[in-house]
Amino acid sequence: MTAQPMSTGTVGIVLVSHSAELAEGAAHLAAQVSGGTVTIIAAGGTDDGDLGTSAAKVEHGLTEAESGAGVVVLPDLGSAVLTVRAVLEDHPRPSHILLADAPFVEGAVAATVTAAAGGDIKAVAAAAEEARHVRKL
Amino acid sequence: MSASCEQGITLVGDLHARPAGALAVAAGRFASAVSVTAGGHTADAKSVLGVMGLGATSGQRVTVSAAGPDAREAVTALIAVLSEATRVAGLPSVTAKP
Repeated sequence: MTAQPMSTGTVGIVLVSHSAELAEGAAHLAAQVSGGTVTIIAAGGTDDGDLGTSAAKVEHGLTEAESGAGVVVLPDLGSAVLTVRAVLEDHPRPSHILLADAPFVEGAVAATVTAAAGGDIKAVAAAAEEARHVRKL
Repeated sequence: MSASCEQGITLVGDLHARPAGALAVAAGRFASAVSVTAGGHTADAKSVLGVMGLGATSGQRVTVSAAGPDAREAVTALIAVLSEATRVAGLPSVTAKP
């Protein structure tokens, strides 16, 4: 599920989607746009491969994406937030993780580009959330 | 010491997602405020979505402006990125990709 190799000191990204394909596709796109230097983990679908979210996949993603600089998590729909929050309740270092309230695709791209530029966890989460205000047309 | 600097370039390819990403990644490494102007619209060069939103196309004149301690270096670097990234993006084999 790892889209790109680990990059020490760069904020990692976890994309939590109800669809494995959607998470993988967004991860692939964000990696291409950002130059492939950021660790982006796709945590999509249930453990059985159905549509839904998986606490185990989220937990695994948080571990995989962490390289010391923290992790920004992007959920696709509201109920993905419930899964992420449940995982964070038991996480040993919740201060190293920020849940971004952002459009999924735009947020993933903006967050990853900011992480690639060396932004810290707050800057990466802010870049994702600002995506809400950028018009396409 | 703070300074401001500006330079223009004519794009040799469209400013698609990947060149916009390359530009924003490069811009984010500078302390200066950096902006890109095309077709009368200006975007924060550090915002990949903002840069993509410009919709700048091949043949269009684009201006990079920076203000801050490393303004000159930022403009030089971003002009180079625009030159290279849009050239690569402009190749027929990759124009349809992001």
